[in-house]
Amino acid sequence: MTFTRTAVRANWPRTALHAGCLLVLLVMLYPLGWLVATSFKPADEVLASLALLPSRLATENYTTAAAGIEGVSLLKLFGNSLTISVGAVLGNVLSCSLAAYAFARLRFRMRGPLFAFMIATIMLPHHAVLIPQYIVFNQLGMVNTFWPMVLPKFLATDAFFVFLIVQFMRGLPRELEEAAKIDGCGPFRTFARVVLPLTRPALITTAIFTFIWTWNDFFTQLIYLFEPDKYTLTLALRTFVDTSSQSAYGPMFAMSVLALLPIVLFFLAFQRFLVEGMANSGVKG
Amino acid sequence: MRRPITLAAMALALCLALAGCGGGGASTAADSKVTLRFTWWGNADRAARTEKAVAAFERANPGIDIQTSYSTYESYKQKLATQAAGGDVPDLIQLDYRQISQYAGSDVLLDLGTQRKALPTEDMDSGLLKTGQVGGVQYALPMGVGTQALAYDKEAWRKAGLRAPKPGWTWEEWADALRKLKAAGYERPMTDPGSMEDWFEVWLRGQGKRLYGADGQAAFSAADLARFWAFTSKLRKEGLVSRAEDTTQMAGSVEDSPMGRKRAVAEFNWDAPSAGYEAMYGDRLALAPMPAGPDGTPGQYYKPSMLLGIAAGSTHPREAARFLDFLLNSDAAADILGVDRGTPVNGRQRTRVLPKVTGFQQQVAGLQESLEGKLKDPPAAPPRGDNGLQSTFQRDYDQVAFEQASPREVAEDFLTEARTELRP
Amino acid sequence: MDEAAVLPRQRPAPAVQGGKRRPKREREGAAWVFLSPWVLGAAVLTLLPMAVSLYLSFTDYDLFDPPSWVGLRNYTQMFTEDPRLLRSVLNTLLYVLVAVPLQLALALAVAVALKSMKRGKGFYRSAFYAPSLLGASMSIALVWRALFNDGGTVDNVLGSLGLHTGGWVNRPGWALLSVALLTVWQFGAPMVIFLAGLQQIPKELYEAASVDGAGRWRQFVSITLPMLSPVLFFNLVLQTIQAFQVFTPAFAVSGGRGGPADSTLFYTLYLYDRGFTASHMGYASAMAWVLLIAIAIVTAVLFRTSRSWVFYANEEGR
Repeated sequence: MTFTRTAVRANWPRTALHAGCLLVLLVMLYPLGWLVATSFKPADEVLASLALLPSRLATENYTTAAAGIEGVSLLKLFGNSLTISVGAVLGNVLSCSLAAYAFARLRFRMRGPLFAFMIATIMLPHHAVLIPQYIVFNQLGMVNTFWPMVLPKFLATDAFFVFLIVQFMRGLPRELEEAAKIDGCGPFRTFARVVLPLTRPALITTAIFTFIWTWNDFFTQLIYLFEPDKYTLTLALRTFVDTSSQSAYGPMFAMSVLALLPIVLFFLAFQRFLVEGMANSGVKG
Repeated sequence: MRRPITLAAMALALCLALAGCGGGGASTAADSKVTLRFTWWGNADRAARTEKAVAAFERANPGIDIQTSYSTYESYKQKLATQAAGGDVPDLIQLDYRQISQYAGSDVLLDLGTQRKALPTEDMDSGLLKTGQVGGVQYALPMGVGTQALAYDKEAWRKAGLRAPKPGWTWEEWADALRKLKAAGYERPMTDPGSMEDWFEVWLRGQGKRLYGADGQAAFSAADLARFWAFTSKLRKEGLVSRAEDTTQMAGSVEDSPMGRKRAVAEFNWDAPSAGYEAMYGDRLALAPMPAGPDGTPGQYYKPSMLLGIAAGSTHPREAARFLDFLLNSDAAADILGVDRGTPVNGRQRTRVLPKVTGFQQQVAGLQESLEGKLKDPPAAPPRGDNGLQSTFQRDYDQVAFEQASPREVAEDFLTEARTELRP
Repeated sequence: MDEAAVLPRQRPAPAVQGGKRRPKREREGAAWVFLSPWVLGAAVLTLLPMAVSLYLSFTDYDLFDPPSWVGLRNYTQMFTEDPRLLRSVLNTLLYVLVAVPLQLALALAVAVALKSMKRGKGFYRSAFYAPSLLGASMSIALVWRALFNDGGTVDNVLGSLGLHTGGWVNRPGWALLSVALLTVWQFGAPMVIFLAGLQQIPKELYEAASVDGAGRWRQFVSITLPMLSPVLFFNLVLQTIQAFQVFTPAFAVSGGRGGPADSTLFYTLYLYDRGFTASHMGYASAMAWVLLIAIAIVTAVLFRTSRSWVFYANEEGR
């Protein structure tokens, strides 16, 4: 960059832009700072204090959190959360891309009504189907296993992602697929060799969103997991706050900071692909 | 012919869902070990004690394996309801007083009379045993007891020149104490008790009335409730109890209540959970009996802090009963559990445990001792539908406290809802 | 729903498909193989439970005893004798009208600002996305309560500007706004989607415009907005659907009750309360189906209006 007069003049709105962004960021990250600061507050300040900084650095919150919950180590909790999240990611990527390809590119009867039905499934509040779903999983003998969290993902029940990938596939040029067809590829080889590699960015988007959302999910895990040995981090977090006896808010905050680390790392590792992926996804209404 | 494919796929799916039972019956394991599932709510300390007790029981009964599960109270209620609806209730369940009618009335719970041999109840207080009965049948056994209390800051009390409240002090004396606290510089010294059905019940019983009648319907009138709310509203306007903005933030735990947030120096609570104030008040924390009616009639009572029951669908009721017997009657369990689930109902366990308590638990024991023989029998378990009403009560009181409607209007609304909600 | 707008348009069948070598039936068979996981999931885990909940909506069901048929009573009760339900509908509408436009505007503004940036893009992107990593957990709800409480940071900052509010989460008139702000704060997902859309706008358009002397604002209005309208529409539809179902932020911030004085009692929160706290699962199911229909209507209307303002660059006009 040469330091000419025009460059300086052209630069000043850019500086203003950065200043503006940093200011907005400061406001936005303040609650996150509060979260981290609270995790270091002693018990009598956690909820009572309205000051950002703790009066003394209470590291005992982290000592308690690092011990996990009764009979279950922190490592085990991490492992369980990770197993479920990774399983969900694999399931969603695989099944949603299969379904999306059919909706985006193949012809079959009732395609219109089925697509509309898929979109409609996003609209029903899930509390209404919680009990019937529980009965199904109970009949399948899957209660107190990870399957109720993972199996639905392998069956493409997350319509949001099917929709997302469909929209992405619409933007892909057909010429490649047609060329593959002329070369004698069947629909399966065309999908595996041509379409999937091109869809990779959308699949990464699906993977990241699935990972974050599954990691943070509480409701499904609460209903289906019985033994503490199978508990996840989000479930363990809740055990710190029991309104009928004594609560331990400090360790709860400490553990939620610890629980954040994997998703932060996961996001930082993949965020580059996230935007790249979305940029190519040709999301259209 | 495409349609058959779709139909076949759907049929297959349905078959899978409906015929899946085959894979589900894994509990009939090849080895002869009996596995029981035990579910309860509580915090980490209770978890540690419970695991220890379970381990002790398993050592003494090598043929029985107990699988435990715990969560917090709010989560627990929803999880258990879902399990009940799904026909998947664990063998051993911990229940709240408010859940008994629902679970007993819907045949979720086993009649414990069928297991009398394995599970004797002679050492338990007969008045308290009744709290686990519905229609004369013992469906659950109380594990511990607690009572309503006033938790307060001794320091503030001393500065206002007040003496520690004695059993039998009245609601008017309580209000006067608040006035003295205010005069001593404590603005709004007390948490507004108007939002909790629990404290309304104490007030009501102090006048010789009851929350629920034998028919399972509300036994008080809109005028009763309106008077209670008018009383608390008057105190609020006098600046003696917390503002609506603070009262509304109570979500059940000590930490989000006005006293927990250090905006008040006194608050009604149940005795054992008041331990939560210790982190903020330390030695200054004290417990006192609840105010009584104008003629000294006590409103508070010994309430089972939790009960234990066996699922009607349990395939091993005898083993389950043996475990309950261990928890509720044995010295070993008493030594491990202490007063964690409330003061033991079993007399032998109580005499064994009470001398050993320390710290805040001594205050709880002291309060209960001071009330010994003075309280009336606890009411029968609340009828079905009461669970939803408890939160409606708090919701409705918001309207009173924020002065969106008069106590009388809101009280009428509450009773209308109570009539449709209660399902005796 | 306007299917034409949602469904990927099928091009005229390529010549190969009409050829004798690949009969149509075989292709259709392939489609069902691709769809089989989805069909299985849709039938067992979606359609079956939905059918059950539709049935339950015509019954009195307390989760414990078998459901008993009551016909339309749940529905008539909803519309005639439940003032709290009406309150929850109004709260939800207000929330949708506040949260959705604010969130989309912020996401768009940040995306546009980031797009013109040469350095530090990755940093800003991650930083602005950070709040969205949290979800509406209990700890973030407690942070929110501390920040927006009487004497909390927001109150203090506004107070020093002479605007004393006395807290937000604790006052009926303000609590809804504080919950909406929690949603707005987590604008990462729509921001990422906007960023993607912005990168697809051909640079040539801006170059041509600046040659014509158009300023930044003119360029934004006459190029960015129309070119971005399909993405804006996508975000609008999905965020609106999600906003109608808002549950977690209000549940967490208000401790499950939707207070103070029912001011954050949203529709799904009340649905949950009826179904699980008061054990009226039949009534809750009826509420769910009314919401489904309401959302479907709103979505259909959005699709209808989209014809007049959504501009599809790659497709010929309709």
